[in-house]
Parts: sequence; structure tokens; C-alpha cells
Amino acid sequence: MTATELTPSLRQQEAAAAASSPLKDTLRSILRQRSAVIGLAILAVLLLTAVFADLIAPYGPAETLFNVEGAQRLSAPCIHALGCPETQPQFLMGLDQNNRDLFSRVVHGSRVSLQVGVVTVSFAIVVGTLIGAVAGYVGGWTDNVLMRMMDVLLAFPALVLAIFLVTAFDTLEVPFLENPLFRAMLAIGIVAIPVYARVMRSSVLSIRERDFVTASRAMGESGAGILLRRILPNALTPLVVQGTLGIATAILEVAALSFLGIGAQEPTPEWGSMIGAVRNQVFSAPHLILFPGGALALSVLAFNLLGDGIRDAMDPRLNR
Amino acid sequence: MLQFLFRRLLLAVPVLFGIIFLVFALARLLPGDPCIAALGERATEAICAAFNERYGLNEPIPVQFLAYLGQLASGDLGNSIRQGRPVAEILLERLPVTLELTFFALLFATIVGVTLGRLSAMRRNSPLDVFTMFIANLGVSIPVFVLGLLFAYVFAVGLRGTPFALPPSGLLSAGVPHQHLALAWGLGEVEGFAGSALTFLSNMTILSSLISAQWEPFIDGIRHIILPAVALGTIPMAIIARMTRSSMLDVLGLDYIRTARAKGAPERVVRSRHAFRNALLPVVTVVGLSLGALLSGAVLTESIFLLPGVGRTLFEAITGRDYIVVQALTLVTAVGYVVINLIVDISYAYLDPRIRLR
Amino acid sequence: MRSWRWFSVFAVVVLVLAACGQQAASPSAGEESEPPATGSEAPEPTEGAAFEAMAYPEDGPAECGADNNPSNISEIRAEDERTVVFTLCSPDVAFLAKVAFSSFAIDDSAYLEAHAADGSIVDEPNGTGPYRLDAWNRGSDIVLTANEDYWGDAPLSPTVIFRWSTEAAQRLVELQSGAVDGMDNPGPDDFETIEADSSLALYPREGLNTLYFGFNNNPKVDGFDNEANPFANEQVRQALAMGIDRQRIVDNFFPPGSEVASHFTPCAIPFACEGDEWYEYDPEAAREMLADAGFPDGFETQIHLRDVVRGYLPAPTQVAADLQAQLADLGITATIDVQESTTFLDNSDAGLLTGIHLLGWGADYPDATNFLDYHFGGGASDQFGDKFDDITSALAEGASSVEDADRAAAYEAANNAIREHVPMIPIAHGGSGVAWHADNEGGHSSPLSNENMAVVSPGADDQLVWIQNGEPGGLYCADESDGEALRVCEQIKESLYAYEVAGTEAIPALAEECVPNDELTEWTCTLREGVTFHDGSTLDANDVVLSYAVQWDAEHPLHIGRDGSFTYFGALWGGFLNPPPAE
Repeated sequence: MTATELTPSLRQQEAAAAASSPLKDTLRSILRQRSAVIGLAILAVLLLTAVFADLIAPYGPAETLFNVEGAQRLSAPCIHALGCPETQPQFLMGLDQNNRDLFSRVVHGSRVSLQVGVVTVSFAIVVGTLIGAVAGYVGGWTDNVLMRMMDVLLAFPALVLAIFLVTAFDTLEVPFLENPLFRAMLAIGIVAIPVYARVMRSSVLSIRERDFVTASRAMGESGAGILLRRILPNALTPLVVQGTLGIATAILEVAALSFLGIGAQEPTPEWGSMIGAVRNQVFSAPHLILFPGGALALSVLAFNLLGDGIRDAMDPRLNR
Repeated sequence: MLQFLFRRLLLAVPVLFGIIFLVFALARLLPGDPCIAALGERATEAICAAFNERYGLNEPIPVQFLAYLGQLASGDLGNSIRQGRPVAEILLERLPVTLELTFFALLFATIVGVTLGRLSAMRRNSPLDVFTMFIANLGVSIPVFVLGLLFAYVFAVGLRGTPFALPPSGLLSAGVPHQHLALAWGLGEVEGFAGSALTFLSNMTILSSLISAQWEPFIDGIRHIILPAVALGTIPMAIIARMTRSSMLDVLGLDYIRTARAKGAPERVVRSRHAFRNALLPVVTVVGLSLGALLSGAVLTESIFLLPGVGRTLFEAITGRDYIVVQALTLVTAVGYVVINLIVDISYAYLDPRIRLR
Repeated sequence: MRSWRWFSVFAVVVLVLAACGQQAASPSAGEESEPPATGSEAPEPTEGAAFEAMAYPEDGPAECGADNNPSNISEIRAEDERTVVFTLCSPDVAFLAKVAFSSFAIDDSAYLEAHAADGSIVDEPNGTGPYRLDAWNRGSDIVLTANEDYWGDAPLSPTVIFRWSTEAAQRLVELQSGAVDGMDNPGPDDFETIEADSSLALYPREGLNTLYFGFNNNPKVDGFDNEANPFANEQVRQALAMGIDRQRIVDNFFPPGSEVASHFTPCAIPFACEGDEWYEYDPEAAREMLADAGFPDGFETQIHLRDVVRGYLPAPTQVAADLQAQLADLGITATIDVQESTTFLDNSDAGLLTGIHLLGWGADYPDATNFLDYHFGGGASDQFGDKFDDITSALAEGASSVEDADRAAAYEAANNAIREHVPMIPIAHGGSGVAWHADNEGGHSSPLSNENMAVVSPGADDQLVWIQNGEPGGLYCADESDGEALRVCEQIKESLYAYEVAGTEAIPALAEECVPNDELTEWTCTLREGVTFHDGSTLDANDVVLSYAVQWDAEHPLHIGRDGSFTYFGALWGGFLNPPPAE
């Protein structure tokens, strides 16, 4: 079953009823999932790489090495430990089309991609949950209009709509949107909104009439208060699952836009744009595709595994 | 059933309107004066005024929207600014290519995905299962454009000179003759609707050479479609494999399977006849839902493998600021996607009567 | 119930087909529908019938310099069946080089009248060339077959197929796999690969082009504060002129055969390299000069470009990224702004680019005026902002001089003034190349990028497959300006003159010769005898008059083309008759 259809399990109801959520239990059950552990491990490596990028990378991400003796543009990796002669300078992943150290760029790219993923999805979650909550709570006509709007967004293949949006943003004279990477992120964020709206709405619908909510309402708690204090915590699990998987999708889609040339621009070390810039060189310098491509796949994999793991941990049906 | 169908159709109507409106509104946002875009930089104010008058561009927006609806209803999608010919004509050429690519990608995804998923469910936790799930997890994570480029490198350069080498671009090799169906079937010149239909079919290289027994382009076409189809189909393949596996495992735990076992049916029969068939049901939905991903992926796959399909045309139109084409193709893709989902929904309901009661 | 499902499927198909069927053409691959068929149904040549000589304009020569005639042509007149006279407004030393240009190919007048109005001439060209169009499969290829009745040497290959791919790497793989015989523009990094492969032959193409980094000293942007514009300061421009390592750009991002530009115009062109060579690379001096100019800590700017590969710019984004890095070394922070091609050119012409723009120029015809006047002359666009009087006056001098010594002196002054004011930095003359299979005898490259397929043998099989960068927009090349279209047109259609194979010299083609009067203002062309078009009709002087007239007169009922811009006519002949009112 997809996450949108998740009905809160018994355990979650108990957790909600107990108000103080046993975080430890949740963590423990997540850590029992093999995929979650692998995902977390990869993610930890990525995070460390991103944080300590300046220490790990031997060169700057935009540094051209024309003055380094023996640095041959587009050259394949040279690793001393693997038999590359000591007379040549060591480049773990080779050099790129502008004579920059590919390893340094890939390392710095982890920063860009993690930020892109998290920021984009946060935007989508905030807007999406708001729409979903209002739709579910208010119901009736509002619900209908909002959700039909979400249906319209979902009706487009994601990338097609995103490309269309990025082009349209071109005209908007908003300073923030002058950076093409932000345009791409906003487009992908908008495209992702409906998923969270649906998750939130179904959570709200399933809880709205539950006793403890009715009780709060009877005690005179305001609508916003009920949404914030009673309903949101209950919707958290599906949102976390969806959000984690969503980060993977967002990284992938922003990279696709950058690959097509309408996302990150030089010299930003974004993996998708790095691949797009050298697609012409694929037959002569495949390492320029392989390494950023591998990094991209790895980080997407990490979020996918983690998301799957959390979902499985939260879904008792699979606990056999 | 009829009632269900009616309800689904009714739900689709506002969505279709929403799509048309969104595309219309976004197209108005696109940079550039439509008059200059259509007539070129040399268009003067007087000419532009006449142009705006003729196309109703100085009418209020709601009137323009109604006019646009009318235009769509009459099947007119506008004229390409760059190519100077009707978008419908471009569609007639490019849509079949995308359809064929999507078909083969889906074929690959379904056959390989279902087989892998089934095998790994039946040998749960075996090395095969672990390997399959590893492939499936990796498969959803590798971007189409990375996979496509690497395939192109491996099969066109790495394996050059071996029997496994595959062409990295295009629909057919140069000089491989491929006849229009009207010619292959000796129908002479066919006009109007039937002519368009024949052209549409003829542009599906593989299908048309198959049904008109042109074996050289058929084989050559298959060789050309393998790499893009596999690259495009990998993500849905991975999803289908996982879905098949988990749904098989679900079904294997159900009462009627136990009953079947208890009745002494051989394990092989239980698995293939009882479990597998029912496990396929959710897979159908996934196949349908994958279409969106496939259409997104087609934009990338077609530009990497240089296939003259809708996706590549759309991207070229965007970089070339050919707004009429962008607008029309986005619209057609979205509407097509809605219709396909409708068909999936309906066929799902047909396969599983419980849905209708929900 | 089952039928409902099928109904929905059916409905979608019908919808799509209905939309397509509205306007779509009927099958075009069928031989029956092919228009310019050589054969008996073609119109009979009007032998014996009286020849009614046409003149254009019909009501007498157009007044030179009048509002309705900014062009350099006054009249085009047929004297008799085989003689055409061009009357010009002012002397034109480049007349032959211009009439050889493929945009001025000759169409049959009857065919033009029948097919220009409905636009079908764009898809169905009817020429006199060695090949005729067999099929144009949009999005995939163009197939040409040999013209058995060709007046010149019979073409070597019975079939020529044009294909295209924007990706150099793809083109190379196709070439290596044997699927194509010849390819245009290998990637700069692939030259070595091709030279190392004994089954392939590389033909470098001399770079009759220039890449430059342009500045605008006074952008026409509303509300732009030119006081703060670093490029309004001549010292800043001079600093950059010596602060950019041009050798590094050429070494890394250009194919072999390219050279660092010593002057704006490539030296192969007469008078191009009079005057001093460009500045030596000296980053230290550049930094000092920047500090002197008031920018000790540099400044922020943009790098504008279009991501379009041209002979002068084989790797646009890479060069931009390198310029970005070089500017950073000088303390200047630049962001890269990739614009859509047409938008970029329009912005550049309108003077709207405030940063540094990467642009270049390729020779239309080999003359210094084609390079210098277009960019820096009195009539040039606002691309570089305010003009410099010493440059414009020197160029005016050079264009109106007839004596070689006078021209040389004028261009020396012009080049030195350009070097002093630095409206742009000339970077490179980009060599490019063509690769053929070694067994394709006659393989060659042309400096004007118009490779002639008729002189290349097909090799092992009986077809010649050529892969180039892009698909033509149309095949009525009067209204095409893209080299990808022109090259296809050149196989099908011919002009009065042609450029020699693999060279730039104009040699007679449809005209046996064109002879000027003493003032170079009246050119009399004698047409070749017995030349027939692919549809069987015979070439006569009226065909020439009408082919030119529909391009020249913006109000001619057949002045339609594909998008109606007829770019090259306006650019090479100075404008149109009856031009549309200016905005």
C-alpha cells in the first residue's frame, strides 16, 4: 500500500493517546530495519562529507589547475596507491573539462545536493500540509476545490511540469529567482506539493472525528490549536516517510533539470549539471559521468532506503 | 460498473479543465511578446496590432480562454513558431516515436520486474532475493540520464566490434529503407483521416515494419530501441520487482493459500496458480502509475539517444522559446496521462469488483 | 461492460488522430506525391516561343538612396534569354563573391510562382544542382538522389543522405561504426582519436571566423547607471585586454588548427592584419591597471552567452567557465548567464548586455568589410555601446578606397584604433574539421562550410551518408541563414557563381561569366546554355530576375519564404526594396 493510504496503526494510536511519544521505541524499531540502517550509514557518510568538504577536498570546487605541473585536462583518475606513477600528481577521480579536480567537485557537490533536497522538500511539506490540513479540516467546498487543484498538478508528468514552470519563472522579476538553481528548486517543490497535501488530508480525515479530538473541541480548543497540537503529531509518521522518499525524488529531479541546463550553473558543483556539461565527452572521458553519477545514485539510494526502512518499521503488517 | 465509470469520468472533467487553464495561464506568463514571437523581430506596431486583433489578444483574459477552448475543441493546436507548421503535424510525427519507446520500456519493466519479483518472493532471503532487492533499490536510484549515457558508452564504445554492440542513437541506421504503410501495402495516396492514421502508424517504425513485413527496418529498429527502452524502463522495472515481491509475500500468507496447501495442492501449483495471479493485481496499478515517470524520463532519454519523440521536441521547443509548441505538447502529454490513468482505474475496477463498492 | 474499456482506448486514439488529421499532410514518403519529378509530365520548355524579357522593378530602375530603396541594387534586367544585367547603386568589389552565395540560388520562375505562395517551396525545392530531393523525413534524415541530367560532372554517389546530431560524440560514434561516411565538426577533444584511426581521414577547416569577448560602454538598459559601469572605463577594457590568457583558452578548448587572434579579422582575408598585434598576456600589468582605474578590488559582472556550438566557439560553456575562473584571478566576480540563442543575439544587437558577452562571427564572403564594418562601422548596432569616431572614419575610408595602398592604410588605422579602445577582445580564430572514411575519395572540408557531396565517392556501398550538427529549418535557402540548411541547399540548387570546392574563390556556375563595367556598378551575366531544373523546365534570364526580385522587394507578393526575414539578402545587399516601415 502506498503511504497516502496508510491508516494509523494501533501502536500509533496508543502513542498518540499517551501524548508523550516514546521516541526510543520508534528509533529502535527503525534500527531493526536492515535497509534503514544501510540508508542511515550512507547518509552519515554523505553528511560528514558535506560538512567537512573543505578538509576532504584537496582543491577548491572551482579551482582550475592550469598551473599544476602534469595536470592534463580531461585526464582519467590517477591514484598512486593503484599504480599511477608517483611522478604524476594524484587525482582520485581525474580532471574535468575545465581542468578542475573532479574529486573535489564531487565532494563539494554533496553539500549542494543535500541542501537542494532538504530545502525543496521542506518547502513542499510546509505548503502541502497547510493545504491538506485546511482541506481536510474545513471540508466541503474548500476541500473539493483545493484537492482538485492538487489533482491538476498531479496530472502532469513531474519533469514536464517542472520544465514548464522553470521557463515561466524566467519572466518573474523576483531577486530570489534570479539564480536558476532556485528556480529549479521552486519548480520541483511545487510539483511535489500535492503528495504532502494528500497525506496530510487523509491523516486529518481519519483523526478528525476521533474521541480525543472531539474532546479537545468540546473543551473549547480553537481549530488551529487542534490542528497543531492534536492532528499534526498524528500525521507525522506518514509525512516523515513521504518526506524522506521525497528528498530522494527532489535531488533526482533537480539534477535532471540541471542536466538539461535549466538548473544549477557553472561553477556550482551540482552533480546533475556536472554530468550535463560533459555529456558530449561521454565517449572520450566517461569518468566525468561515472563519478558524479555514482554520487548522485548513492545519495538517492540512501534516502530511498531510509524512507523504506522507516515505513516498514511503522507498518506492523510487515513485522513477521 | 456503469455508475462507477460515470463517477470517474465526472471527476476527470474538472481536472481536465484545470490542466487546460493552467497551461493557458502559464503560457501567458512565458517571456516574450506573442506577436514578436510569432512574426519575428521585424513585425511593426501596426502589424502587431492587427495580429493581436486577429488572434483576440487584446480581449479580456476570460474571453481569450474561451476562444482557446474553442480552438482546442476544433482540434487546432496552433502553429509552431520555429518550424512554421501546425503542431498537429509535428505530433503526428513525434508522438508515435514516444509511444513506441514507452511501450518497449514498459514491456521490459513488466517482464523483467515481475519475473525478478516473483523469483525473489519464492526464494525469500536466498542470495537471489538479496541480489534482486539490491538491484531493485539501485534501479530506482540511478538517474535515467546517467544510466543512458553509461549504456551508450558501454554498448557503443566499450563493446564496439563485438556482436553485443548496439547503436547509441537514432531510430534506424542510415540507408535502411523504411516505407510508409500506404506504399508498403500498395494503397497509393490516402487522404484525410485515414491518411493521417496511416502516417501515424508508419511513424511507429517497429510496429509498422512488423505489420508490413519489412524485416530489415524491423530488426534494425529493435536494435536501436533496446538501449533507450532499457534505460527508461529501469526505474519502473525496479518498482515493479519490489511490488511483485511484497504483494506475492502478502498473498502467500493469506488464508486461501493455506487452504490450498492444506488440500494438498503441490507447492508449485499453489505458488504459480493461486498466489501469483492474485499478486499481480496491485502490480497493474504500479504499471499504470509508472507512465508518469516514463513520460518524464522520455524527455531525458530521447535527448540522450536522439530519438525524434515528443519529449525531445518539448525540450527543444523550450530552449528555442517556441511557446505554441510547448503549450500544445504539455497539454497533450497531461491530457494523455489523465486518460491513461482513467483507463487504468477502470480496468482495475473491472479486474477487482471490490473497488467499485468503495 | 467489456466494450467500455475498449471504447476509452478508442476514444483517445480518435482524439489524437482527429487533432492530427486537421492539418497534417498526407503521406510524403510515397513516390507518387513527390513534386519535382523528372519526366514527361513536366512543363514543356518554351522552345521557339518568343522570350519576353523581364526587368525589375517593372516601372523602371529604383532610385538609389530613396526611402523605399536602402539597398545597393537599382535594377535587375533580362536583356535576352541568356543575359542578365545587375545595376548597382555604388561599386561593389565583392559582387561575384556575393552572387555565389547559396541564398541567391536560382529558382524556375514558373515553379516559384506556383510554390512560393503556399510555402511548399520550403519543403520541395526544385533546383538545377547535382542532386534532387528524394525524401525529407523530418526529425531523422534527408535523402537526395543524383540528377541524371546535371550539366556539370556527374555526381559520384547515386544517393546522398543527410543526418544530424547536435552531439559531437554521437556523430563520431556513428562515423566509427561505419553508419555514416562523413561528419562535420568533430569535438575538439576527438581530433586526436580520428587522426589515430587509419580508417578515418581528418580534414581540418581553416578558421575564417573570430571569437571575441565584447563589452558595452553604454548599455541601452532603462535606468542603467553608466557611471558605475566598469566597461565604460577604457582603462578597465585595456586591463582585461591584457589580463585574459587567450593562449590558454585556445590550447584547451579549441581543436588543432585554431589560432589566437592577432587582429579582429582572420589574416587570410586581405588587409585584415594591418596594424599592431593584440596585447601580450600580462596579468600583473592588468591588475595594476584595474587598480589605477579605481577597481583595486575588482567588481561584479556577468558573462552572457548562448549555448550554441559554432566554428568560432566549439565549447561555449567551458570557455565561459574558464573566463569566469580567469576573471576571478583578476579579482572580478562573474556569474554566467546562458541565454536562448535568438534572444541573446537580439539583446546583443539592442545593446542590452551589460556584462561581458561571448560572441563570434564567421565569414559570409571573404572581405574585411564583412568583419569590421558589420561590428564597428558607422551603421553597426549598439552591441558595443557608443561608437568611436576614429574607428568609424577609418572604416569608411577603407570601404570607399579602390587602390590597395589606400585600403591598407585605412585598415591599419582602424585596427590600431580598435586595439586602443578595446570594444571587445578578439580571442581566437577557431579551426574546425570534417572527418571522412578513408575510402571516400574526394573527401574534403570547405572554409565556408559548404562541402560539396557530388565530388565525394560513396566508398564501399552506393550511398554517401553525411552527419552534421542540425536539421535544416527549410530548404528554400533564400530565407535560411543557418549553415546546416545552406549546405543541403547547395547540393540541390545553384547560384550564378559558386565557391570552388574546398576553397573561397568564386567560380562560374549557372552564369558562364559576369562582367562589370569600369565603375564596377553594372554587372552583365551570361547564363550557361541548356541547363534544366529538376522538374524539366529550362533555365532562362527571367528565372534569375524573379529569383532575386522576390527576395529584394519586401512588397513582392511572393516575398514570403519560411519566416519572411530573408536575412542574407538584407545583410549582403544593404537592405530591401520597399522595406516595412521602421518601428
